[in-house]
Amino acid sequence: MAWFVGVDVGGTFTDFYACRREDGAVRVFKRPSTPRNPGEAIVLGLREMCAALAIDSADITRLCHGTTIATNALIQRRGGKVAMVTTDGFRDLLEIGRQTRPHMYSLQKDHPAPLVPRERRYEVIERIGPGGVIIALDENSLAAAADAVVASEPDACAICCLFSFVDPAHERKIAAALRARRPDMPVSLSSEVWPEFREYERFSTTVLNAYLQPVIGDYIDYLDTEMKAVAPDAPIRIYQSGGGLMSVETARTYPVRTALSGPAAGAVGAVHNARLAKKPDVITLDMGGTSADVALIRNYDPGVSLGGNVAGFPVRLPMVHIHTVGAGGGSIAWFERDGLLKVGPRSAGSDPGPACYGCGGTEPTVTDANLVLGRLSGGGLVGGAMALDEAKARAAITPIATQLGVSAEKAAQGILGIVVANMVRAVRTISVKRGLDPKDYALMPFGGAGPLHAVEVARALGMSDVVVPDTPGILCAQGLIVSDFKEEFVRSGRLALDAANWAAINEVLEDLERDARAWFEGEDVVPDSQSLSVSLDARYVGQNFELPVVLTAANPEELPRPAAIAEVEQAFHAEHEKRYGFHNASEPIEIVNIRITAVGSVERGAAGSEHLPDSTETATPIARRPVWFQDDAPVDTPVYQRADLASGASFIGPAVIDQFDSTTIVFPDDKLTVDDAGNIAISVKSNHLAGRQAA
Amino acid sequence: MKTLHSQLDPVSLEILMNGLRSVADESFVSLMKSAYSTNIKERRDHSTAIMDADGRLIVQADASLPVHLASMKGLMESLLTRFGDDVRDGDLFVANDPYVAGGTHLPDINMAVPVFADGAPVAFMCNIAHHADVGGAVPGSMAGGLTEIYQEGLRIPVIRLFREGVLQEDIMDMILLNVRVPAERCGDYHAQIAACRLGHDRLAAMIAQYGVSAMHEGFDQIVTRTSNRIREEIKRLPDGVYRFEDVMDDDGVGAFDIPIKLTVTVNRGDICFDFTGTAQQVNGNINVTRNATQASVCYTLKALLDPDAPNNQGVLDLPELITQKGTLLDATFPAPVAARANTCQRIIDVILGALAPAMPEAAVGAANGANTTAVFSGVDPHSGEDYVYLETLGGGFGGRSDNDGKDGVQVHITNTSNLPVEAIEMEYPLRVRSYGLIPNSGGAGRYRGGMGLKRVVEPVGHSCSFNGAGERFTHQPWGVFGGHYGATGEFRHVDREGVSRRLPNKPTGVAIHPGEALEIYSPGAGGYGDPAERSLGNLEVDLTSEKFDEAYLAAHYPQFGQSSEKP
Repeated sequence: MAWFVGVDVGGTFTDFYACRREDGAVRVFKRPSTPRNPGEAIVLGLREMCAALAIDSADITRLCHGTTIATNALIQRRGGKVAMVTTDGFRDLLEIGRQTRPHMYSLQKDHPAPLVPRERRYEVIERIGPGGVIIALDENSLAAAADAVVASEPDACAICCLFSFVDPAHERKIAAALRARRPDMPVSLSSEVWPEFREYERFSTTVLNAYLQPVIGDYIDYLDTEMKAVAPDAPIRIYQSGGGLMSVETARTYPVRTALSGPAAGAVGAVHNARLAKKPDVITLDMGGTSADVALIRNYDPGVSLGGNVAGFPVRLPMVHIHTVGAGGGSIAWFERDGLLKVGPRSAGSDPGPACYGCGGTEPTVTDANLVLGRLSGGGLVGGAMALDEAKARAAITPIATQLGVSAEKAAQGILGIVVANMVRAVRTISVKRGLDPKDYALMPFGGAGPLHAVEVARALGMSDVVVPDTPGILCAQGLIVSDFKEEFVRSGRLALDAANWAAINEVLEDLERDARAWFEGEDVVPDSQSLSVSLDARYVGQNFELPVVLTAANPEELPRPAAIAEVEQAFHAEHEKRYGFHNASEPIEIVNIRITAVGSVERGAAGSEHLPDSTETATPIARRPVWFQDDAPVDTPVYQRADLASGASFIGPAVIDQFDSTTIVFPDDKLTVDDAGNIAISVKSNHLAGRQAA
Repeated sequence: MKTLHSQLDPVSLEILMNGLRSVADESFVSLMKSAYSTNIKERRDHSTAIMDADGRLIVQADASLPVHLASMKGLMESLLTRFGDDVRDGDLFVANDPYVAGGTHLPDINMAVPVFADGAPVAFMCNIAHHADVGGAVPGSMAGGLTEIYQEGLRIPVIRLFREGVLQEDIMDMILLNVRVPAERCGDYHAQIAACRLGHDRLAAMIAQYGVSAMHEGFDQIVTRTSNRIREEIKRLPDGVYRFEDVMDDDGVGAFDIPIKLTVTVNRGDICFDFTGTAQQVNGNINVTRNATQASVCYTLKALLDPDAPNNQGVLDLPELITQKGTLLDATFPAPVAARANTCQRIIDVILGALAPAMPEAAVGAANGANTTAVFSGVDPHSGEDYVYLETLGGGFGGRSDNDGKDGVQVHITNTSNLPVEAIEMEYPLRVRSYGLIPNSGGAGRYRGGMGLKRVVEPVGHSCSFNGAGERFTHQPWGVFGGHYGATGEFRHVDREGVSRRLPNKPTGVAIHPGEALEIYSPGAGGYGDPAERSLGNLEVDLTSEKFDEAYLAAHYPQFGQSSEKP
């Protein structure tokens, strides 16, 4: 027996998803999180799960982990005390940033102060330029800076030199000098954390990395030690923001890579379910209590973008392209000064929570609106463990209704209409803004609240397909056990795409391939599980934003190589045309980054479906109740238990489908089908916009 | 709340407005990512907007620049006056001229595409982008020392670049013949055209979805609601007459201490900005057309009263504006206007100064009050090709009622990014020796003003030419409520021995040879409140961060010195 376990640590719950290697049997488990030391919930939860579900913890052979430690440490500013060593004349660069202010019209708002105060930013005389070393590293100034760093007693140090992506030698010498003085102190080199041009973004990423090193280091130490006692045969793998797992050692060196670990795991869980549902193109909607994350999956690939913003700081690293909007079950409805109704981003959270929780909340939330409309059962959440008070929900919504001069139900419909519009805007950001039409995608909702609103989001975007996965509430944990190992190898510079550079481009590819092969070896990835892909990030000479030209090989173990310059040129013109609506066939092209992505696939265990009922009979509703959809009157609606819906079951809405961790709403005339893998597929009728406008 | 006799309830309107904003934002990003000019691709000196068929501004992209508001509105006014009923589906209009096409300076190229439904234009998708060159006497088309608009570049009235979907290639050829590095500029035009088209298609889809009448209704409501919302804020201001005046340093061609005078009258929700008494227009390029003055007034009003309000015609129409034709703030042909942003910054300072007594919590000290511009040009010794590197530097932001002013940041009318040092050195034969904050440059105060920036640039392997435009290089940025002045800026030329000499505030054609360098110092900003009220803790930070030295702190803060003795 061998079990693979995925653990996702969320704000409220820590979710476990265990899968038995031999037969694909699945066990799921939830326990309250332990925010003070999130590792505790993992260790305790594993013990509890093993006891409750009769798993021998010695049989756990892999533990995959998605974590929000880094994100929370950044948001709450609980990282280490960091010093910085940088090029002479540039210590303020980290503070100046891009010299912009975050809000065009606010006289009061600033970007956050840098994580390293000015007095702990030390300069070393050295200078590298685009062509190499201009000023050699001055040993005296290095010694002085290194001594000063040590005297400032930091927990970690960031080393950030200009053009270190061209030549990392100076940064390495600085690191050596620091290690000689303080072997225990973690250092982060910008040439290692992310060796690409644009110094501010690179420095910022490196400083964030150093800031997180002490926190993640301690956390990993704790987990490593405790897990040896619980599950000695389970190596721990951590999920990266850019997708894919890494070893704890890599996580210790590059903790900034875990900044979006949790949501990224959700995206890969969605990919897994998309495969089961045979839907290669999916937009995900992960809606929880305070926010909704949306991501776009194309051909089972949850697109990775370079760079984003974490806790107000730019981060230049691969991150699964996730867009977050303040739209959750706890989002509060309010009136803006111009009299327009708004919902969120402020949330009632879990304390006091929506008014209907009866824990003291009085402000109207999305969950209250769902309850007033009968879309949520008064019987409650989490399998009935948490009762909801409809009278309190109605009382909270009444002031909104009064101000609008409509009924409570109309007001509740309005609130949901706006929260849906906010999510629609988020979906548009990740689709239409990138030139992609959501109509070509299926919508996959998950998280506790996603399936409640998915149909309306889909309809507003003209999407006809909604796929609700089997366990929408623990999809992130599920994603963890099906993800691969992943590492990127990149070389940055400017190479004109022409015959003169063709050999150089191929040489870089060979170098990078060597690095990638060495990494496979270090991570014990066997040849059969190895695959490599190549991306040439290219642009027209004169542009500053590059587009990836992705090369693929017939055999995944081999490095894909472009056959000819013309092939790369054509692919770039086509990509540019697709993204921006034009291309310039006569313009010269240059390559800015050459990138190899190495993936080591993991064993996933057999596919299993033991939790599905065998019968294909149409399920019987457990109850009926009036539910308000978009019309001015409620519709008598059957309520089903998810577990009662067998593969092949199919009927026309309206319907409410309850399950332990979520509720799915099917509108009148929409068609529901349960597929072979247990996903609920909803076929959404095309937009009746008239419903949005008052008669 | 007022009853709305309309088909769009507040919910539907919110959804419609979100949709329109998405369109503008998407068009903005597309333009940034596919453009060639450094100004656009890295510095984001561009904007996108949706105007209605009557030329009213309906929505702007979130990152759009306040100063561009004026040009878009101006373009639409000229377009509708000139072409009226002769706008056809598939037309694409282009313009830049401040005197016949509503522009504010020539490098800003404006475009507009009508979006048709039922045979009539419902809206226009517009964008504006600052090109690295638009021809004229000096590379970069921003140089001082010129005295007529003709010298500043190619003047384009409102013309059709596309006629019913067909590119007018002869016109494009003529434009490109008149600009430097035409291949790159061609790329910029295409990026702008593509961004217009993208917005057009999205907008057309929305119109098809909502219907024309709902769209018009939505436009009306967006404008009206914004207008009402800001008027409510104006009503909170104490009625009265508020006055302030300040001076521009110089126009670069002989005029100095050029006054800007303002009288603001607030009367029960009405607000009037009267610039009577301001100087006549000058020979140098710091003149401002009236619509740029209006954009500056509207920026300040929104920033002071309601920063989160949507930006549309409802803001533009609110304040009454009095200017006299032929003055610095209402320039007439053929006054040069390239450096108008510096003057716009001063207009804003003057308004902030006037209204400070009326709203002490929102007020701020004078910021760096400039758009410190540095243009390096020459021939790249490796490629043999011309290059033009233009940058505007931020500086101090004024002290605030509960916080210090931000150091080294773009202020008010502009919010463009800097160009990364690594991008400069990879793209141009230039080297940046240093880039940092200037110690002691933020004016003292209970909350101090922000610090200016210093950047030192040298040519590599060739001699280059430098043109600059500095303001608040003579007259310091003032503080409010007892806050002290911030430091002035300056340009300095450094010789091979490291000896530097100060250049004029608006130098032109300064040759910089290998081994020499150019130092740019941008101004700091004024403080807020009496320095004696600054906390010892903040003074401690001023000292340990080495942003201020002991001598400065001792000279400006009577309580300094107690700090080291306190725990």
